Amino acid sequence: MSVNAGLAHVSTDFMIAALLIYSLALLAFAGDYAFGRPRRKAAAAPVAERAAQLAAVGAASAGAASAGTVSAGTVSAGTVSGGAAGAGSANPAGPVARPERPAGAFRAIKDAGPWVVAAASLSWLGILAHVVAVTTRGFAVHRAPWGDMYEFITALTCVAALFFGYILIKYRAWALGVFVMGAIVIALGLAETLIYTPAGPLVPALQSYWLSIHVTAMTLSSGIFFVAAVLGIMYLVTERYRKRVAAGKAEANPLLDRIPSASQLDKLTYRAVVFGFPIWTFGVMAGAIWADQAWGRYWGWDPVETWAFITWVIYAAYLHARATGGWRGVRAHYIQLLGFASLLTNIFVIQIFVTGLHSYAGVQ
Amino acid sequence: MTDVHAPTSKVESKTEAADLEGEATRAFGTGPAELAESGSGGTTGPSGTGAGWGRWAWRQLTSMRTALILLFLLALGSVPGSILPQEGADPASVTQYFTSHPTLAPWLNRLGLFNVFAAPWFAAIYLLLFASLIGCVVPRTFKLVGSARTPPPRAPRNLARLPQSVSYPSALTPGAAVDAAASVLGGQRFRLRRPAAGDSGQWVAAEKGYLREVGNLLFHLSLLGVLVSIALGGLFGYKADQLVVQGPANGFSDTAAALNEFHPGRLVTESDLAPFSLTLDNFTASYVDSGQNIGQPAAFNANVTYHASPGSPAKNYDIQVNHPLSVDSVKVYLIGHGYAPVFTVTGPDGAAYNEATPFIPANSNTMLSDGVVKAPSASLGFIGVFLPTAYLTTDGTLESIFPAANNPMVSLIGYSGNLGMNSDVPQSVYQLDTSQMTKISGSPHLMAPGQTWKLPGKLGSITYVGTEQWVSLEITHDPGQIPALVCGMLALAGLLLSFFVRRRRVFVRAEPGPGGVGSIVTVGGLTRTDASGGFEDEFATLAADIADVSAVDSAADVSAADPNQPEPNNQSETGA
Amino acid sequence: MFKVKRRTVVTTGAGAFVLLVAALVVTVVTQGKGDAAGNMLTYPAGQRPAAPEFTATSLTGTPINFASYRGKIVVLNVWGSWCPPCRNESQTLKYLDEQYGPEGVAFLGDDVQDTPTNALSFLHGADITYPSVNDSNEAVLQRLSLAVPISATPTTLVIDKTGHIAGMILGAVTYPQVTTLIQDAGVTQ
Repeated sequence: MSVNAGLAHVSTDFMIAALLIYSLALLAFAGDYAFGRPRRKAAAAPVAERAAQLAAVGAASAGAASAGTVSAGTVSAGTVSGGAAGAGSANPAGPVARPERPAGAFRAIKDAGPWVVAAASLSWLGILAHVVAVTTRGFAVHRAPWGDMYEFITALTCVAALFFGYILIKYRAWALGVFVMGAIVIALGLAETLIYTPAGPLVPALQSYWLSIHVTAMTLSSGIFFVAAVLGIMYLVTERYRKRVAAGKAEANPLLDRIPSASQLDKLTYRAVVFGFPIWTFGVMAGAIWADQAWGRYWGWDPVETWAFITWVIYAAYLHARATGGWRGVRAHYIQLLGFASLLTNIFVIQIFVTGLHSYAGVQ
Repeated sequence: MTDVHAPTSKVESKTEAADLEGEATRAFGTGPAELAESGSGGTTGPSGTGAGWGRWAWRQLTSMRTALILLFLLALGSVPGSILPQEGADPASVTQYFTSHPTLAPWLNRLGLFNVFAAPWFAAIYLLLFASLIGCVVPRTFKLVGSARTPPPRAPRNLARLPQSVSYPSALTPGAAVDAAASVLGGQRFRLRRPAAGDSGQWVAAEKGYLREVGNLLFHLSLLGVLVSIALGGLFGYKADQLVVQGPANGFSDTAAALNEFHPGRLVTESDLAPFSLTLDNFTASYVDSGQNIGQPAAFNANVTYHASPGSPAKNYDIQVNHPLSVDSVKVYLIGHGYAPVFTVTGPDGAAYNEATPFIPANSNTMLSDGVVKAPSASLGFIGVFLPTAYLTTDGTLESIFPAANNPMVSLIGYSGNLGMNSDVPQSVYQLDTSQMTKISGSPHLMAPGQTWKLPGKLGSITYVGTEQWVSLEITHDPGQIPALVCGMLALAGLLLSFFVRRRRVFVRAEPGPGGVGSIVTVGGLTRTDASGGFEDEFATLAADIADVSAVDSAADVSAADPNQPEPNNQSETGA
Repeated sequence: MFKVKRRTVVTTGAGAFVLLVAALVVTVVTQGKGDAAGNMLTYPAGQRPAAPEFTATSLTGTPINFASYRGKIVVLNVWGSWCPPCRNESQTLKYLDEQYGPEGVAFLGDDVQDTPTNALSFLHGADITYPSVNDSNEAVLQRLSLAVPISATPTTLVIDKTGHIAGMILGAVTYPQVTTLIQDAGVTQ
């Protein structure tokens, strides 16, 4: 079956549309970041005042209204600050009338202000365009649309965008929008310009249903690790900044202040890695099964296989570090970023420059 | 949002353990003391005796910190194995590396860097890692079995100091409120503990999530299983390569002496080979013939007839890439292909040579191939280049421009003399030893199929009859394959369990309410220290569920006064 | 209550592991490969593997039925015209054929991975008259390999009168080696 050039063209158009919409979303996130509703109003509030706030939160029937004031910009619902749960933690204030269930996400977004509404809407619109682009590419080439590097990167960024869209809603993570969307825009832009490969048929070695399984899993997990890496960088930045401010070595910077707290970022990063790691493991296993079908052995230390293993080991080290005293915090994040660097090395260095059985990049 | 470093569950629950009765945060499998120990690898040094040193060393080995270091070393050690050419995958590149880096290469070789994954130092890293793993996992397995039999700890006195807690008034008596809470928790499959005869107060303690540790242990033990499976394959498996030319006379039988290459496992002998035989009936390769991907392979198909053992019925199969043949206990894979031009050579004494001669591709895009023809009975040898689609460029060079045999031509350089084949020394069939031969005059002689080159003098002649194709097959037997797969799947299952099941404890206490009416119900909860969070939502929902069955049903309550509160349950109160 | 001292548990685990490793090492290091002396393998009478029966075609097209060789000692030489050590040892085999042929020892070649033209032109040049099986697809070699571990070409088998393999020489043969095997084959008790 030959490539459907019309659909391929449609795919590229939608990809560029997604890129443009993401850029607009990025601007909206930046707008919220700089000009949006103030957060951390109660940054220095004494405990008693906070208790009263919490009690007030608990007393309201639906937490949403108070969530708007207290939790705008919270990264994870129902955390210490009372968030939308109303069921506060470490609550010295005494009994509330009724424990409240966690409040709805769309209300929270609406209450966070017009910048956030715009940014969230644009993000999801962009995701829609991106998904259409990836899908039409698949229809154009009559197979799963991750058979060469361009397709892999566009699919990976689509997954990252979807994952970000999910945490945007579930964990009210619009404070991260600037950084995550920025990274996605850069990656997708690179894909469209430098790495672009026209739609073409697959070499025989890739003609297998395992493509849908192995590369899909690697794409999914790479997209999730992508987001985790962005969060990790944010963590390091904010952790260093706050340490320096606390030690009096730097002045408080209102922009940097708006980055969510280090522990929030740490938890969210951990969740992302926890989500992505089993998928990566599954992807490596599926790759091994496919390798056995195609190359006669399920593991041969081919360079790409080896680096997938190295990446796996480093993320495993991150998970161990997070459970080890003295290695939590900054050190663990360095490890996590090292893992992502290894992932990037695998894609951009090993697949292109080192000869092995995996050289299907298609990059000229 | 406040920038509170939360949840304080991580740091505070350790110190809280001292504040509370000490039970609420009692070992979720590992207690705080062991956590610290596993973190730092044991802060106390070894005692003087040998046993003390041994114990100290063992504790170091099985600590998390050592595991971390070993993991790093494993990752780091794999890097040269992916950058430098490796003996196992590409021995030719290794030799090439020696010639291009004459001083550096021997040193790298001494360090075992040309065969990293079989090197002793690499083996030491993963063996130590697995020792550390076993030393950690085995005790934890015992602990898990133990903890499965112990009930949840008693509810602490002051639930408000737990990381998650909420309290609210209830119209029920303390006992009834706690019973209602217990039914909710029980319905969610928590394990419950109620106060014993001598305990004071009304409370229920609930615990859930034991599968987490099961998953954790399953994952780590399965990794060990994968290692053992790999070892099984290395000991009892084998790999062999064979080049098979098209045609019934060129079939091959799977036997060690016939195989081009045979790499047996340590405990494999020649008689372990599966006794199948096969013939390549037809090989077709199709290529993209237009557009920007011109020349790219589109499909390969090797149609073979095979017998599972001598005398068993013949069967037919299409071997393709990603589509190996399974026969007996082995799999046969299509690895490569090429052309075998057929030559006949006649010498002074008559027919000396008639064979489809495999030529090896030098360029996989154009399938330009090299080969030799050795006809020792006629004292003739030829070095040849085969071009599937020959094309003469404007500056006179001959190229192949397409991989299919659309315009096959062969270019031969002839030699006459002693081929050196009557000595003890084996020769490669793809190389001609011209040291005792003289080149036949007439520069490379180009031939199309059907043409004959009559050699000068009375040396003889060579005819290019036609072109056959050959495939290279890989035959593998790996008894560790299925076990590795099973262990891999178990590892994945264990991983998912350990990530997405949280070990958590929920406590509910009810004190008599103000004036002896009703009660104040406090719900508290905590989860493992390194949990990823998300427990807050579950706790909030749980608390709300408990409140639903036990909460206040009157507006006159003891909450912080807020006259604006519309109580959802109070429709009857505020008027119909 | 199930309570085991942690120290005991850990020590046991460590010990088990060390034992496992030791066992693995020992297994890997020791490999039983049969009682070979140099490149010759001999089977005493009574412990000889049976030579397989086979029917095949010779290089000249005449049928060969190995069953018909029963009652004679057979020297079976696996070779190919493309194989220099095979070409080299052929003179030794020719000499042995001239020596022992009249005494009733039969010589048979098994020509593998070869073509009749190439093989016959060699045999003609080497003046070898005993027949060879046209075994270009190694079917006969495979049957032989199921009885004895043949790992390379050339290999020479000596089969006794009852159709059992008395010995095997891996690699090019020498006159004394074959003579010894022929004498051994004569001993069938």
